[in-house]
Amino acid sequence: MRWLSSLSAIAVALVAGAAQAQTKIDFFFPVPVDGKLAKEMTRLVKVYNDSQKDIAVTAVYTGSYDETKLKAQAAANAGKPPGLVLMSANFVLDLKLAGDIVSLEPLLKAENTTRLKFLDDFWPALWANATVDGELYAIPFQNSTPLLYYNKEHFKAAGLDPEKPPQTWAELVDAAKKLSTAEHTGFGLPEGYDYMGWIMEALCLSNGGRYYNEEYGGEVYYDTPTMLGAVQFVEDLVFKHRVMQQGVVEGPALSTNFLAGKVSMMLLSTGSLSFIRDNMKQAYGVAFVPRNLRNAVPIGGGSLVMFKGLADDQKAAAWKFAKWLSSTETLGGWSRFTGYFAPRKSSYDTAEMKDFMAKNPEAKVAIEQLPYAKPWFATYQTVAVRKALEDEVQAVLNGKKKAAQAVKDAQKNADTLMKPYADQTALKVP
Amino acid sequence: MRRPSLIIGGLMLVTAFFWSTPFLWTLVASFRPQSAGGIGMASLVPDYVPTLGHFKEAFETGDFGVYYVNTAIVAFGILAVQIVTISLAGYAFARLSFPGRDFIFYVFLLQLMLVPPILIVPNLRTIVDLGLYGSLLGVMAPYFASAFGTFLMRQTFRQIPRDFEEAAVIDGAHWWQTLWHVLLPMAKPGLIAFSLVSLMAHWNEFLWPLMVLNEPSTQTLTIGLASFALGTEGGREWGLLAAGTLLVMFPLLALFAVFQRQFVNSFMFAGLKG
Repeated sequence: MRWLSSLSAIAVALVAGAAQAQTKIDFFFPVPVDGKLAKEMTRLVKVYNDSQKDIAVTAVYTGSYDETKLKAQAAANAGKPPGLVLMSANFVLDLKLAGDIVSLEPLLKAENTTRLKFLDDFWPALWANATVDGELYAIPFQNSTPLLYYNKEHFKAAGLDPEKPPQTWAELVDAAKKLSTAEHTGFGLPEGYDYMGWIMEALCLSNGGRYYNEEYGGEVYYDTPTMLGAVQFVEDLVFKHRVMQQGVVEGPALSTNFLAGKVSMMLLSTGSLSFIRDNMKQAYGVAFVPRNLRNAVPIGGGSLVMFKGLADDQKAAAWKFAKWLSSTETLGGWSRFTGYFAPRKSSYDTAEMKDFMAKNPEAKVAIEQLPYAKPWFATYQTVAVRKALEDEVQAVLNGKKKAAQAVKDAQKNADTLMKPYADQTALKVP
Repeated sequence: MRRPSLIIGGLMLVTAFFWSTPFLWTLVASFRPQSAGGIGMASLVPDYVPTLGHFKEAFETGDFGVYYVNTAIVAFGILAVQIVTISLAGYAFARLSFPGRDFIFYVFLLQLMLVPPILIVPNLRTIVDLGLYGSLLGVMAPYFASAFGTFLMRQTFRQIPRDFEEAAVIDGAHWWQTLWHVLLPMAKPGLIAFSLVSLMAHWNEFLWPLMVLNEPSTQTLTIGLASFALGTEGGREWGLLAAGTLLVMFPLLALFAVFQRQFVNSFMFAGLKG
């Protein structure tokens, strides 16, 4: 077995980086959009490493947001916390409640600045998901909102004005009916896990609702008129108006259908803009998410967080790197590359960005919708509480349940999931 | 007699076709010129001029050369150590008698009932304590002992009549000589069956390597593939995904094609189903 020991020697040699006086930190990042981003992120980190000598950052690709969370938690528990992690913005509250991430307030204080001053340049819609109990826990990095994408050629063929996309649910249903033919369905939603919850928040908000209690992690508003209306709308799109496919359609399948001209309109993330722009052959447009009672959408995307257990020098290094990553220039460049919108307002004042916006007017719609953006739902056990609703809406889509029963069951399951937290907090009275 | 066999043959053909549909689609899609959309994307018919574009893009996106080497080191490295440990442990449980042998064996088997994800944190802590965090050896270490392999080798050894060993012992062979010259050659089908299962499992493993590895230079194939496959917020480049999948599974497929007869024979001998 001599070759085995030489194999292990190779393996060890592969990772034994030269010991340096630099502070070394790991940066965990998921790639929720597409594979090219992993390469671009690695390039960005190299630019940073080459620009200074004190800090050496290792960019670690860590799968999806869920796997990134799992890896970061496991690494922190095993005593090897990553310096910085790009995390789904709605996991921040959950991670804070579990004691996995640390407050960034001491770092702000050391620089004689405050949370309000630090967040001032970020879009106000992003503040809530970055703070917990009045303390800063996350720095917004890549953000999105849902958008209405529509096929202009289908609009023309159906006798609709391609420059006047539907603005209300009623107009949406009208247009979808005219657009539904033997070749394509009128409308589609991304209905897989994660996406479904986000889209239901968009519909609930557009219906005047709130989805969850933004101030307290143990409450969601599923069994409410606003959410019932949203779920009823989804049910009717499939079974009454017959303008949407029955059954659950995953996000990637939906965008493929849209590109192939199999569906005429869809709600999808602004994060998909680059992908659609690169691959869509027919003329398309983007517009605000149609409203029933008001224009409102949730934000989505990822933020930078720090896990517990970092040594002081690592923490300082991670903070420096985080500030560089979230600088006006870096965020602008990342936004142009990915299709996410840049969380800093100042990114849009740069010459490169003005140039880009002039060439890609549809990117502007995402920015114009921002004043109507609301925080992304985040609760105790966010993922499970979200699934409680998603499972029910998926049952509605499959024709197995009616909307009224679905929201009741979703509420009951969500309340059971959050009970341990509620018992420890709001229900713990003297 | 002819008619039933014709029907059975036809049924088997249909089953084989359905079973191989995902593979056929992957093959067809990976050479299709368009990647993201298009009505034809779902088609199984290769109605196009084939392109190597997706493979080129896959190679540009990920460092597949490094991924292949790392995955091979992990999968074959684990197997090499496992063959030693399971042969020795299987021999001990099959042939040696010592107090508590059966009890220890059953405790060993209990390991099969644990779901691997619950061991992630404790295993990772051990790996960190051993100084193996971030290394390929850290990915391999937890698999060096295999309950399934030990069980398989114990059963295989027990099926071999004792007469062979007794003949060797009369000729003055030590236990390790008996094991090496008599038992192991006769247990080859069992070893081959186990090798196949082990190689497949570790070649395709995703979560544990993702937990242990950090540096891009130590990533394995599945992690490289995941960067194409896990984008939920964007669209999906089916052609690229198919090409990447093909790149990941090709070596195992080739290995199986070459050793097909031996694998099938070994499974028939070992009475296992793949």
